[in-house]
Amino acid sequence: MAGAVSALFLLDIKGRVLIWRDYRGDVSAVQAERFFTKLIEKEVDPESHSPVAIDDGISYMFIQHSNVFLMTAARQNCNAASILLFLHRVVDVFKHYFEELEEESLRDNFVVVYELLDEMMDFGYPQYTEAKILSEFIKTDAYRMEVAQRPPMAVTNAVSWRSEGIRYKKNEVFLDVIESVNILVNSNGQIIRSDVVGALKMRTYLSGMPECKLGLNDRVLLEAQGRTTKGKAIDLDDIKFHQGPFDSLAACQGNVCRLLIPYHLRCVRLARFENDRTISFIPPDGSFDLMTYRLSTQVKPPIWVEAQVEKHSRSRIEITVKARSQFKERSTATNVEIELPVPSDATNLNIRTSMGSASYAPENDALVWKIKSFPGGKEYMCRAEFSLPSITAEDATSEKKAPIRVKFEIPYFTISGIQVRYLKIIEKSAYQALPWVRYITRAGEYELRLI
Amino acid sequence: MAPPPIVQQKSSSPSQPSGKSEVSDLKLQLRQLAGSRAPGADDSKRDLFKRVISYMTVGIDVSAAFSEMVMCSATSDIVLKKMCYLYVGNYARCHPDLALLTINFLQKDCRDVDPMIRGLALRSLCSLRVPNLVEYLVSPLSSGLEDGSPYVRMVAVLGVLKLYHISATTCFDSDFPASLKNLMLTDSDAQVVANCLFVLQEIWNLEANKSEEANRERETLLSKQTIYYLLNRIKEFNEWAQCLILELISKYIPSDSNDIFDIMNLLEDRLQHANGAVVLATIKVFLHLTMSMTDVHQQVYERLKAPLLTLVGSGSSEQSYAVLSHLHLLVMRAPMLFSSDYKHFYCQFSDPSYIKKLKLEMLTAIANESNTYEIVTELCEYAGNVDVPIARESIRAVGKIALQQYDVNAIVDRLLQFLEMEKDYVTAETLVLVKDLLRKYPQWSHDCIAVVGNISSKNVQEPKAKAALIWMLGEYSKDMPDAPYILENLIENWDDENAAEVRLHLLTAAMKCFLKRPPETQKALGAALAAGVADSHQDVHDRALLYYRLLQYDVSVAERVVNPPKQAVSVFADLQSSEVKDRIFDEFNTLSVVYQKPSYMFTDKEHRGPFEFSEEIGNLSLDQESMDNAPRFDESDKDLLLGTSEREENGGTSINGAATPGYSAPHDYNSSLVPLSSQTQSEPAVTSQTSFAIDDLLGLSMLAAPEPPSLKLNSKAALDPGTFQRKWGQLGVSISQEIPISPQGVGSLTTPQALIRHMQANSIHCIASGGQSPNFKFFLFAQKDDGSASFFLVECIVNTSSAKAQVKVKADDASASEAFFALFQSALSKFGM
Repeated sequence: MAGAVSALFLLDIKGRVLIWRDYRGDVSAVQAERFFTKLIEKEVDPESHSPVAIDDGISYMFIQHSNVFLMTAARQNCNAASILLFLHRVVDVFKHYFEELEEESLRDNFVVVYELLDEMMDFGYPQYTEAKILSEFIKTDAYRMEVAQRPPMAVTNAVSWRSEGIRYKKNEVFLDVIESVNILVNSNGQIIRSDVVGALKMRTYLSGMPECKLGLNDRVLLEAQGRTTKGKAIDLDDIKFHQGPFDSLAACQGNVCRLLIPYHLRCVRLARFENDRTISFIPPDGSFDLMTYRLSTQVKPPIWVEAQVEKHSRSRIEITVKARSQFKERSTATNVEIELPVPSDATNLNIRTSMGSASYAPENDALVWKIKSFPGGKEYMCRAEFSLPSITAEDATSEKKAPIRVKFEIPYFTISGIQVRYLKIIEKSAYQALPWVRYITRAGEYELRLI
Repeated sequence: MAPPPIVQQKSSSPSQPSGKSEVSDLKLQLRQLAGSRAPGADDSKRDLFKRVISYMTVGIDVSAAFSEMVMCSATSDIVLKKMCYLYVGNYARCHPDLALLTINFLQKDCRDVDPMIRGLALRSLCSLRVPNLVEYLVSPLSSGLEDGSPYVRMVAVLGVLKLYHISATTCFDSDFPASLKNLMLTDSDAQVVANCLFVLQEIWNLEANKSEEANRERETLLSKQTIYYLLNRIKEFNEWAQCLILELISKYIPSDSNDIFDIMNLLEDRLQHANGAVVLATIKVFLHLTMSMTDVHQQVYERLKAPLLTLVGSGSSEQSYAVLSHLHLLVMRAPMLFSSDYKHFYCQFSDPSYIKKLKLEMLTAIANESNTYEIVTELCEYAGNVDVPIARESIRAVGKIALQQYDVNAIVDRLLQFLEMEKDYVTAETLVLVKDLLRKYPQWSHDCIAVVGNISSKNVQEPKAKAALIWMLGEYSKDMPDAPYILENLIENWDDENAAEVRLHLLTAAMKCFLKRPPETQKALGAALAAGVADSHQDVHDRALLYYRLLQYDVSVAERVVNPPKQAVSVFADLQSSEVKDRIFDEFNTLSVVYQKPSYMFTDKEHRGPFEFSEEIGNLSLDQESMDNAPRFDESDKDLLLGTSEREENGGTSINGAATPGYSAPHDYNSSLVPLSSQTQSEPAVTSQTSFAIDDLLGLSMLAAPEPPSLKLNSKAALDPGTFQRKWGQLGVSISQEIPISPQGVGSLTTPQALIRHMQANSIHCIASGGQSPNFKFFLFAQKDDGSASFFLVECIVNTSSAKAQVKVKADDASASEAFFALFQSALSKFGM
């Protein structure tokens, strides 16, 4: 059974109902509020509670966004994954409308919120959740709304996510390749887990109905195109394509993926795409995610950290940290932040660094060492000395806890070696469009359990 | 200024600011504006409406302004209209008399030139939920379904479902389901098609218990034609509708393997969808389609791994949680397939604890010879975690891995190291584990006891851990020089010990210790028995008395009772039976997976699909705790009831099956049930003896189509499985007989569902069923429709090859059982006609 939800609630940080939409009339707001306030009271940290909970035969699923909770109540056996995702989509839509989704913005916009909730879900079944479609028939500035409203094109099913007749003076495409490195290092300094998650994000300012063609150096893609893979090709473990309102894309054989064109053109061009396996698509206007991929081959951590703890006496501790950049000299990591855990009762911190600055962040029980610019092949040091109270609390026997965490960004560099070989824009008016491609590698979950 | 009319505050809640004066003020202003055609009147109206809506949202009852709002609704301004619809929708249900006022203008708006307004008005009209206004819905809905604008059609389709929930008969009388079916197969707009499918599924699922026709309709939704039609258009649908269609496809029964491969090839790219829900729905299709093809099923698992692992790592933690729950299910079904991916389940420091918990369970499940070392090392890192519940879970996980027999040696060392960490909760968890380990591997007792002996019982406070420690003291008192004295100490503090569990263990440990080292323990045992007999807890008192009398009677008998030679436990019983696990697997991609419970355990009956209702197989073998004293069905029953589960898949779970024989149900319970393994041979003999009043009944069965007797059955009878089992155990057999089944009936009995549906139409409900051709077994029940809670319980074993049904009836009211049997027989004889 597909499972419809009974109601959608927007609650404040204490769990009180700000606004709710009753879709099926079989749950009560009072009951939901009572349940939810109790739930978050119980937890010191609301995020530690599982996002799905059941009470009296009603399943509640919720997410938090800034100071607002979004929650559905359902009596049926629903599809949990899809509803949690739907809630995130609701957040996106609200953000599109109100810039930021928080209690204030909801209070100021009751009417629009109701309108949106009505169009996004009907009788508990998800309907349109694309901000771009919704904004064609629910205007933010309700006061200046034109009387002659027509349902948007997507709703009338004429085309898709891209309207006809878009015009730009300067035609440009920005493609960002962003890779996040996830690393887990154990206390012996061994890498026990590493992977890379990449995303291709686009912003397009293109006139008319352009078709984009994108070439990557993914091995499977290259081989499928019958090209020789000379050294540089990489293997992506898994690719996901993000899609417009109407699923237009991605027909794959094995690992080879291509984006198809919207279905009203599909019949004409399908044959060609069967043979030619480049990624080709008609982009929506503005910014969107094109695809994400994952790579689980082990990579060399771009920033390596070594730590040494010396206990001079029972109450005097010195930590020496060495940070080394393990990438080519021509690249430079920026905004490097190394967070070192220190005991919560540490006092008299004395910190020296060979580069950058370090400060004590008592709210995180950590020392934060910041280096603005960290070129490849360099090594920097940080030495911190601190005292502990000579009388220790009883439960403080083992202070084993947070790992060292590292944040950084390395522009013009992809750790996987993925490259955009070409990005072509084809439009019937044959204008010149400028493609801009930017690479960046940043730290994802980057944890070293060294101390 | 004229005084405002009397305001009737109907349901203003006392906790809210009453806002009475504001409401009357608003009413007044609205009234003034109602007729105004002045320029700018719309703007002022908007302001007022906005205020009304704000009041409504914050909980102030503004229903008093209903008529004024309706008066102001005559406008062409769509924003005003929307606000007005919102207002009306909010108050119509509690003020049905006022709702009547709105019908007129809503109906008019349904004929507006603007499709937006038509759609919105229709949606509001259907959302009023006022039963006596149903008649006004039919004609706007029928024209809405034929509207030129897909927006209006989309709204109208869901309107039909709303109508169905207000008045099902009106919905069927207007033949809306048929229109929807037609629309679903012809409409050009994908969202209209999707909504048709939502509606038809919901209606037929709810109706399926009531009528045969609804069942047929439900099956046509699953016909090859419909499925292929939707499959071919799947890319036109938005992501939510795709999930729905995929869900439908997962129930489709393919005609042959080509069919399966066609569908899988067509859906292959859905695994690459960025929406995790679509990916999960696709995975469900793949898993269910390949159920019968073991090797392909394995390959499917392999294929699914990469997309699932990517999904876990991307997106919000809530999404990861939903995906991980499903991964968890798959890992539990086929742990060996994931054994090389263990690193993906390592916990990040920043993971929320609900995610960490799932990851720990998965790490436990996939541990095998090759990865145990790494996994245990990782788990030991968590034992010092700041998050204490997770630290506990990690220690338990280490213990569970040890019990799985991999690399026990190293693990025992690690556990003993935990004890040296001297953290109370670590010690507590570890003690429990060491106890379990010793029960399984007595050969380790020497190493463990040396360390356990050093633990001061003062540092152990948690009852479970204390009980474990005491158990070890008793069991290994020979090897622990201090044992009698530690026990003595504990017994001295008997009154401070709150947990009965601990006191019970203390008694037994004192007994064991006494039997091994009498002179040292005698005093302690005496004290323990005295304290035990005086204990206010019934169990403690009874046990103390039992020991006391045993010792009085004969010490060697006491020895045999308390200290018999023990066999090492080979497998600890799993809490969840494999049927329950299979049910959860059937409900893949629903809340069941997140809760790790089949849906019948957490949803109300009316919110379940017919499948869920009629096949409550799992209930019959729920974990024992949940139904104390309930008779357990025989092991062979369980096999038969397993039905669809493919056991060779469950490398990990097959242990559970093996664990059950150890549990011997009390004999008298078992004897009331017929062991199914011997059913075909011994059954007729048994029944011919036990059946009485047979002449009478035979006479009935001679009639070709016996008249249904006057007994009326309650068509909505409900009985929960626990009660069923209890009753079945308590009641005696009132009728047991073999009856023939018509050849047509045999022909249509390919799955148990066919018969279940048929019997349901005759108000006889199924509580559990199972089996494969030629043997099927059903447990059915029915209730008298005279307000009494009198139930009839039936066990029906059908053998299709001999075209016979073996029926046993038990009844609360034995005098009515003959009438019921006749009814049952007549119902069965019509099966397949």
